[in-house]
Amino acid sequence: MDTQSYVPVQPGVGMEENFLSLDDILLSHERLPIRTECIFPRLGFLEKSGDTQDIPEGTKMELPLWLTKGLYERKKKVLSVELPKVYREGWRTVFNADPKVVDLHKMGPYYYGLGSQMLHFDSPENLEIAQTLLQTFIGRFRRTMDSSQNAYNEDTSVLVERLDCLEKNLFRSGQSGLHGFQSWEKGQASQLTASSLVLNYRKRKLADVQP
Amino acid sequence: MDPSEVEFLAEKEMVKIIPNFSLDKIYLIGGDLGPFNPGLPVDVPVWLALNFKQRQKCRVVPPEWMDVEKLEEMRDLERKEVAFTAVPSPYYMELTKLLLNHASDNIPKADEIRTLVKDIWDTRIAKLRCSADSFISQQEAHAQLDNLTLMEINTIRAFLLDSLNSMYKLRSNLQPGSSKGQFLDY
Repeated sequence: MDTQSYVPVQPGVGMEENFLSLDDILLSHERLPIRTECIFPRLGFLEKSGDTQDIPEGTKMELPLWLTKGLYERKKKVLSVELPKVYREGWRTVFNADPKVVDLHKMGPYYYGLGSQMLHFDSPENLEIAQTLLQTFIGRFRRTMDSSQNAYNEDTSVLVERLDCLEKNLFRSGQSGLHGFQSWEKGQASQLTASSLVLNYRKRKLADVQP
Repeated sequence: MDPSEVEFLAEKEMVKIIPNFSLDKIYLIGGDLGPFNPGLPVDVPVWLALNFKQRQKCRVVPPEWMDVEKLEEMRDLERKEVAFTAVPSPYYMELTKLLLNHASDNIPKADEIRTLVKDIWDTRIAKLRCSADSFISQQEAHAQLDNLTLMEINTIRAFLLDSLNSMYKLRSNLQPGSSKGQFLDY
């Protein structure tokens, strides 16, 4: 069983993000297709396709999630967010038909996280998106559980490669339960081992400590 | 919780031994044990029984349920029933492992017992996984875990808790307004 010297902060999954979660930081860099609803004066240098001084109204571009969330306002229209392809009607039908066959890593890899974040932007399809996210999770649950509880001492990369980041975390916790049990059953748990902290510990050199 | 911690708890279970030495009653914080007389069976916790056994000071009497016929009956019942059946001891898996590893010469048909208990365990784990799946897919709010033992719960705990957490968050997405408060912080 691999033990870490620190506990990583878990992703927030829902509409709120965990500030210190690495997954959520990566998630906030996902690009969203947007359309500007007003002029962005003197920011034309950011948009490489045109050489005007301003970004005109109605320009279509891609912005990262963190910037989109900051700029988006419900009352004053600054920009409108278009749904990424995977959350649109067509793909939603696919997910509802059989969530098990979809390669969520290719679609995401933050399918659930980004999907929940999309709910910040008022879209008429919000309810359907949330519903699809939940149903997809439920539909894929059995497979994640079975593979994580049964794959012992084998290459798990095939099992993991089609999983979303969230499911990968689940897979890992399932594996830790399995490994703990198996090592107990084989009697490895009764052997004392040195902590990984001690193994990694090196003597400090005097030169490093002194200013 | 680590399986070795569960095993530690299981070592408090009482088991009968037949000592081959004599010793007065011993007074421990957890209770008084003994007195020990050669040839007279006495109840002691598993940890003490194993200690005596390793020093060859006693013979362990296997618990009543640790018997091929009874276990076969249990296995068949377990396979037939949809729900979990009652187990003879809340630590059946741990006790089997401890006693069979350290005192297998006192237990008749040790190998068969090992296989049978493993069969029962596998059947129960498969059931547990099935019920966890239906629990998730029907989005139930609570489940009754009758007759489950600590070790069984322990193998699936981390996974089930994490997935229930994620599912709860995905489900709270369905009710807009419940988490709008955080968004206003921007």
